[in-house]
Amino acid sequence: MTTPSTQPTHVRPNYMLIWLYLFVMTIAEVLLAFELPVSQNLKLILLLILAIWKAMLVAMFFMHLKFERWRLRLIFIVPLPLAIILVTTVIMEKVF
Amino acid sequence: MTSVAHAKPAGGAHDAHHAPMSFWRKYIFSTDHKIIGIQFLFVSLFFLLVGGLLAMQIRWQLGFPGKPMPGGGILPESMVSGGVILPEYYIQLVTMHGTFMVFFAIMPLLVGVYANFLIPLKIGTHDMAFPRINMWSFWLALLAGLIMLAGFFVPDGAARCGWTMYAPCSARPDLSGATYSQQLWSISIVVLGLSSVMGSVNYITTIINHRAPGMTWFRMPLSVWALFITAILAVLALPVLQGAAIMLLFDQTIGTHFFDPGAGGQPLLWQHLFWFFGHPEVYILILPAMGMVSDIIANGSRKPIFGYHSMVFAIIGIAFLGWIVWGHHMFMSGMNPTLGSTFMVSTLLIAVPSAVKVFNWMGTMWRGNLRFHVPMLNAIGFVSMFTIGGLSGIFMAATPVDIPIHDTQFIVAHLHYVLFGGSLFALFAAIPYWYPKMFGRMMSERIGKLHFFLTFIFYNMTFFPMHIIGMGGQMRRIYDPTIYDFLKPQQPINEFISYSAFALFAVQILFAFNFLWSLKFGKKAPQNPWEDNGMEWSLPNPAPHGNWDKTPNVYRGPYEFSAPEAGDKDYLPQYVKLPTDRDPIPAPLSAGGH
Amino acid sequence: MQTTTMTDAMRPPVPAEPGAGVYSNKLGMWVFLASDVMFFTALIGSYIVLRFGMATSWARPGAVLNVPLTGLNTFLLICSSVSMVKAYAAIADGKKYFLRKVPGKTLQDGGLKFWMLITIICGAGFVGVQVFEYIKLVGHGFTPTGYREGSVLAEHALADPVKYGAGVAGMYGSTFFTMTGFHGFHVTCGVISMLYLYFTKVLPEKYSPQDYRGIEVIGLYWHFVDLVWIILFTIVYLI
Repeated sequence: MTTPSTQPTHVRPNYMLIWLYLFVMTIAEVLLAFELPVSQNLKLILLLILAIWKAMLVAMFFMHLKFERWRLRLIFIVPLPLAIILVTTVIMEKVF
Repeated sequence: MTSVAHAKPAGGAHDAHHAPMSFWRKYIFSTDHKIIGIQFLFVSLFFLLVGGLLAMQIRWQLGFPGKPMPGGGILPESMVSGGVILPEYYIQLVTMHGTFMVFFAIMPLLVGVYANFLIPLKIGTHDMAFPRINMWSFWLALLAGLIMLAGFFVPDGAARCGWTMYAPCSARPDLSGATYSQQLWSISIVVLGLSSVMGSVNYITTIINHRAPGMTWFRMPLSVWALFITAILAVLALPVLQGAAIMLLFDQTIGTHFFDPGAGGQPLLWQHLFWFFGHPEVYILILPAMGMVSDIIANGSRKPIFGYHSMVFAIIGIAFLGWIVWGHHMFMSGMNPTLGSTFMVSTLLIAVPSAVKVFNWMGTMWRGNLRFHVPMLNAIGFVSMFTIGGLSGIFMAATPVDIPIHDTQFIVAHLHYVLFGGSLFALFAAIPYWYPKMFGRMMSERIGKLHFFLTFIFYNMTFFPMHIIGMGGQMRRIYDPTIYDFLKPQQPINEFISYSAFALFAVQILFAFNFLWSLKFGKKAPQNPWEDNGMEWSLPNPAPHGNWDKTPNVYRGPYEFSAPEAGDKDYLPQYVKLPTDRDPIPAPLSAGGH
Repeated sequence: MQTTTMTDAMRPPVPAEPGAGVYSNKLGMWVFLASDVMFFTALIGSYIVLRFGMATSWARPGAVLNVPLTGLNTFLLICSSVSMVKAYAAIADGKKYFLRKVPGKTLQDGGLKFWMLITIICGAGFVGVQVFEYIKLVGHGFTPTGYREGSVLAEHALADPVKYGAGVAGMYGSTFFTMTGFHGFHVTCGVISMLYLYFTKVLPEKYSPQDYRGIEVIGLYWHFVDLVWIILFTIVYLI
């Protein structure tokens, strides 16, 4: 019945540091969206990268995915290509 | 989110350990997976009947357009005027027949009943991982069914626009003619999706984490493999439908315009979302059937399943490919032709693993010591009928061929061959097969055989000619084929189909009678009536609450028929320990466990 | 539910294979989260398709929506995620208490009760700010069907149709309210669940370092909700 203690042991991440990263990245995103004189497409790409990076930080460190077995990571990873396939196909469709 | 801190205590002796449960806790609000499976069984068979009654009315109209239907008088005048089915009612019939059959009959019969009933029994555990969530899954499914049924009793009548609910017809009452029932359809689907997802989370977790010692992945029966993969499909596909249904509901109620082209929405978006769910859905409707049929054919042939590993990989292959073929339902939607070609290729590819399975079933039966009991007959019927359905599917997969046959009766023939000829025959096999385990009695063999032969004959008489009239150009969901001159010569075939369909429906009385009568008067079942190898047969009939007293050990694979080690018997169950067997070593707790 | 002592017969079966290598509640939650990804895919995917498949551009960021306030709200949700993981770490270390003085440190050390409370407060705060934002938006005229006739936004849209995405306000409204609404629904469910756990399990100190599965599982759900918001905030408010 014990479980968290039977997890593979790992060094506990520095949650406050991750929090700082997330905070800084959020500020960066808001600034990017409004202040910086960057072209629309570049803005889009950078914002997406920032968003995905933040999401990965939360997933890897707060949800401890970095320290779990591959089998567990797979459960979360599997829907992602499906999502991409759906959205890409429908956009290709619409563009046509 | 915490589940019970302890597992259900095991075995028949369990009942002595706590106060006897009231009738309500034991049979109505039960968390026992077997009771939940049986609850699903009764409810789904009811909805199967509803779907069948709707089909009878459809066949009346198609066979005898414009003639007053016997018994039509009991229906409201706005729908059935003077006994003659009106077009507004006809489109409701067609829509609701599809909806009830797919969502509330076949899916719950295959998954709700057999995933719930079989999984814990076949992998050697006491119950599902989350028994209370399991109970909720059933009640939500029932609620969804009742919401859908309510559609018949609201002003304007039931939902229309086809079971695929294409927008903008479904989003705008001015286009469909119905308001409340369209909304009820959306709500019902969202609730059903929730039920399905909850159930699937249960099935996946139970199979991954709760297998008995010795029950390795490749010792699991194919029925469990199929149910596992089906659950994965369900857990990923249903939420997409839920999202789409919610957007549809908002279009219908609060005035959003997701699918309304006039205001910037996209009708094709609905089609993409629906079929992105819809195609995995049809594999949800066939994979459990294939799995159970594999078990039954191995049993009926007294031989191991031919190519067990390739069967597993075929199931996985079908499920995997099933995500990238959805566009084949939309070849005629005006979509990007490049995409059309892509979908054509992937659809043709998916025929391969299905074919592998058909060959393996044949290979299993080849030179087997065949026992033609009722489940085996129906299972063989499944293989042959599914093959025909699959072959007609190849026609549709080729986009150029699909252009003339899309939305004709040819498609209707195909889908009925795979859903009735496939899934339903598999159910006619599975229900008597596990009936002893559920109810402690046997269904009558004689009635079962008569039912099988008559059903098989009338079924083919009903659905095979649909290929012909489809090729001849009769459209799908059409109210009166005779309004077209080019279809008039085919009308005698329509009549023939209708007569066959009435006979087919009538024959099902045999099954209903057999099922209900045997509950009380069926022969009492021996513990292992089919001489099968599954873990469930080590338990008395009906299986007791909590299943096993002590966690059983598994010593071999599931298809050890005619094994030399078995001695003079031609089967060797998974749970039997031979003197040469060693007990499986349980995994060390630190590696995970519970 | 009976509380009996665990006998061997009652233990869940020890699997031959390690299975997923994690306990069932956690596995179940991960599978559920995978399904939730697909749900948000349908909603967010539709938004992406509807917006970027359209020739007319939608309202500029910040024109209709209050980005600074929502940015703050995003930060609040991220804080709640941090406090959630701190709560998880606290109970893993056995800190069931609220606050405790630690020699040599100025700040007191927070235990499970403290960090969970912070999480709940921040989560509820997020919902509160969202509700406040919705009320303001609807007041200005932004509804799921577009800019309400005669409202402030409708006038702005007439004056500057490009900035306000005049022709496609209906789509903008539909997608905005659906996505953020369902996200908010998920957050609300999370807050309610956490409240339930707080009063039934955390306060009576039912969790221990040997068994804090409920915290871990609700934590996973909570982080997921935060993750979805990170994506939503970017593509709805900033692009």
